[in-house]
Amino acid sequence: MTPLDVTTLHADLCGRTARQQREAVIRIALRACASLSILVSALIVLSLVREAWTFVSQVEWSALVEDGWFPRRGIYDIRTLLVGSLLVTAIAMVVAIPLGLGTAVFLAEYAPPLARRILKPALEVLAGIPSVVVGFFALTWISPEVVQRLRDGTPQSNVMAAAIGVGILTIPLVASISEDAMRAVPPSLREASYGMGARKLTTTVRVVIPAAVSGLVAAFIVAVSRAIGETMVVFIAAGATGGSLFTMDPFEPGQTMTAAMAAQAAGTDAVRGAALTFQSLFFVGLLLFLITLALNLMANRFVRRVRQQY
Amino acid sequence: MAAPMSRFAGCARQRDLRGRRIDLGGGLFRVVLLASLVASVGILAVLLVDVVNGGWSVLSTRLGDFLTGVLGSRPERSGVFQGIRGSLWIAIFTIVLAFPLGIGAALYLEEYAPRSRFARIVDVNIRNLAGVPSVVYGILGLAIFVKSLRGFTGGNTVMAAGITLAILVLPIVIITSAEAIRAVPASLREAGFGVGATRWEVIRHHVLPYAAPGILTGTVLALARALGEAAPLILVGATTGFLGGGPGSLVDLGQLTERFTALPIIITTWAGRPQEGFRALTAAAIVVLLVVVLVFNAAAILLRNRYEKKRR
Amino acid sequence: MKRLLLFALPAMLAACGGGGDQSGEEVFVSGSSTVEPIAIAVAEAFAEEAPDYVVNVDGPGTGDGFQLFCNGETDISNASRPIRDEEIAACEENGVEYIELKIAFDGLTILVNPANDTLECLTFGDLYALTGPESQGVDSWSDAEDAAHELGSTTDLPDLDLLVIGPGEESGTYDSFVELALLPVADDAEATRPDYQASADDNVIIQGIEGADGALGWVGFAFAEEAGDRVKEVAVDGGDGCVAPSAESIADGSYPLSRPLYLYVSAASAAEHPAVEAYVDYFLDDGISAVEDVGYVRLPDEQLADTRAAWQRR
Repeated sequence: MTPLDVTTLHADLCGRTARQQREAVIRIALRACASLSILVSALIVLSLVREAWTFVSQVEWSALVEDGWFPRRGIYDIRTLLVGSLLVTAIAMVVAIPLGLGTAVFLAEYAPPLARRILKPALEVLAGIPSVVVGFFALTWISPEVVQRLRDGTPQSNVMAAAIGVGILTIPLVASISEDAMRAVPPSLREASYGMGARKLTTTVRVVIPAAVSGLVAAFIVAVSRAIGETMVVFIAAGATGGSLFTMDPFEPGQTMTAAMAAQAAGTDAVRGAALTFQSLFFVGLLLFLITLALNLMANRFVRRVRQQY
Repeated sequence: MAAPMSRFAGCARQRDLRGRRIDLGGGLFRVVLLASLVASVGILAVLLVDVVNGGWSVLSTRLGDFLTGVLGSRPERSGVFQGIRGSLWIAIFTIVLAFPLGIGAALYLEEYAPRSRFARIVDVNIRNLAGVPSVVYGILGLAIFVKSLRGFTGGNTVMAAGITLAILVLPIVIITSAEAIRAVPASLREAGFGVGATRWEVIRHHVLPYAAPGILTGTVLALARALGEAAPLILVGATTGFLGGGPGSLVDLGQLTERFTALPIIITTWAGRPQEGFRALTAAAIVVLLVVVLVFNAAAILLRNRYEKKRR
Repeated sequence: MKRLLLFALPAMLAACGGGGDQSGEEVFVSGSSTVEPIAIAVAEAFAEEAPDYVVNVDGPGTGDGFQLFCNGETDISNASRPIRDEEIAACEENGVEYIELKIAFDGLTILVNPANDTLECLTFGDLYALTGPESQGVDSWSDAEDAAHELGSTTDLPDLDLLVIGPGEESGTYDSFVELALLPVADDAEATRPDYQASADDNVIIQGIEGADGALGWVGFAFAEEAGDRVKEVAVDGGDGCVAPSAESIADGSYPLSRPLYLYVSAASAAEHPAVEAYVDYFLDDGISAVEDVGYVRLPDEQLADTRAAWQRR
């Protein structure tokens, strides 16, 4: 406890003292801490834009639409990566949204309090599983047990296994945000529905979910953003480390923006004739940054709408 | 009855008042939901079982050697010691850098300038940073800490990696600390001001102790996240082949400016090695990583739940 | 207390100093992922002989390794092909002088599924028609037969669905295949067909070949030997008749797809850093047995003597 005595009181009423000066210094130091985050953003944008600009200004535009992503050979078909990322994200959402949403609805509306108290923390702990672990699991279990059973002749490294892995990673995220959104719906709305004689299914589907839709959309967007940004699962399980032909077939190896960047770096800098291999890394990074930025801004707007309503 | 309610009144109420004994649709729905919960938890359980099963042969027969062994060409003699060392350094950097800077930022945003334009900009900024993919932070680390600041960090070293990961988890620390600080009741602060304390004194003696469990939870979650990340480490150039020097000591300041590796990188490298023995080795390394990460996560969440209960 | 930490940190960090290797006791080896296992095996044995010297080995790829080497960032670059002109120029530009040391032989073994029993030998023309850049879209062996015959081959290719599996572009094994098998046929060939199944994991390539009747792939000799009966090795005709891959035919050069493996040592590093000198000395002396331990082909005695002489002469 601060020793409170006449001297201190006197000093306060009189103005500048050591305490006041210390106060000012601390305030400046803390403001600097807060400004650090702006510095970080600026540094990210700076480091991306500098090399990406070199890439954009020097690349032959034909190389950007020639089929296939083979950075070491100077073929930078960005469509290959974009489609790859989209494919992985789409399949991942097919896995994550139903399971995550179902889990969330169950936990929010149907689960007895005891079950909820155990299961919700369990899900949150499982949300912390590192992506390399899921990547290894996708390569060694999902691929042989699930994907290769679905379609014969699938190589061990394929997009489908990686995408399912990404979906698994995202389930806890979807469940957590959706559940929070549904719990935020005031009980009065539910009571009103029950009061009219509706059964639980009707209440949940016709009242609670529509009321929570902003939060659910936010959950969806955050999940998409996470799936697009996921690197290690694809890097380990989807193959295509050196380059990849344009493909829309999930049962083949494939490449996403993120894994392309990691594959590039795992082989360090530029090489092999084409001079822009190193810069292509930054170009893809900038693209990725802008996409996830846009998604996050959208998600934030939905979250704020939820907050405003209640 | 107001018009918007008529949709309800029609189907649901009539059916319910007519008195269905067995609510087939509702029951089915409940089963479907339960199934999705079971599937979600089940998949993760299968993952854990599969991994532990895979690594059992290594863990049960040579756990000691495995934990003190180094990277090498032969699976029978390889171990994760250098990875543990690298991950330990990363943890140290996270605590030393992200912890104070993050709490400081959160304090400023919540205590000193809560509704200012600056705070709003910083808040939006932090929320965006929290959503940036880890591989982009890796690029930041590569461009700035490996290349530009090579003289300070030594290039592809554990220092560059540690700083990069500390920056990566900084938004998480700030967001969770800010939430914890916001939850401190205003009355506590008012009481402090009422007896003439300065803002910092109120923070130091009242706000921080009250918010400490929440802040601690955030830091532990951030730490667990930092330990599990591999993509930024790949970008920063962790060694994947062979790190000379034998096991050496666990922590030594000289290691800061040397090549390094970390548990997630070891896992990634071994996952790609063709020899059969590396499969079990990878699973064993995953078990080690999972033990650390899941224990941290569980500790953080239990802490938070207990503290929430106490406050209520 | 937090402030104390904030001030102590820079002091702590400053105490360690910057820069990588200050005392001449560290060796940085990078480059080919094919040679990497040899380098690691030698480094492990070397660590027991000279524990004070620290060797770090990485394997991002031959080309990537040269990039680092010519930038002065590594002491030794492993390579599964000779240094190229652009790379020589880059090294000269940065003032990096090197000593080229041939240390082993590796062969590229062409593999097919054991069910493919009529096939015993493939010519360069066949390989180009099946895997070359112009063969994109060809998905049956017999479809490639016309193109192969145009290139002078007389082989009857079986009527099977073609599935090409091989290492990815970042690997030296890929580079070597293009240089040794495709370039002799078309001297502007820069790559194989893009629509093949690439994998960095030799195990996966073997599994892939095992799993498809009409599969065709290539891996390093050591790995093919290890795979045993799961796959079938095919002899290669480079113009002088069909030669099957074996340690002898690779070492004496009669097998057309044999390639030497190299060590490129920075002259400056060897002169200034005793660790580098000691490592290479050990490598060429006792360490050379690691070549066979890892599964590659040992240099014939005269060539080994030449390499040792080149090192002594530096």
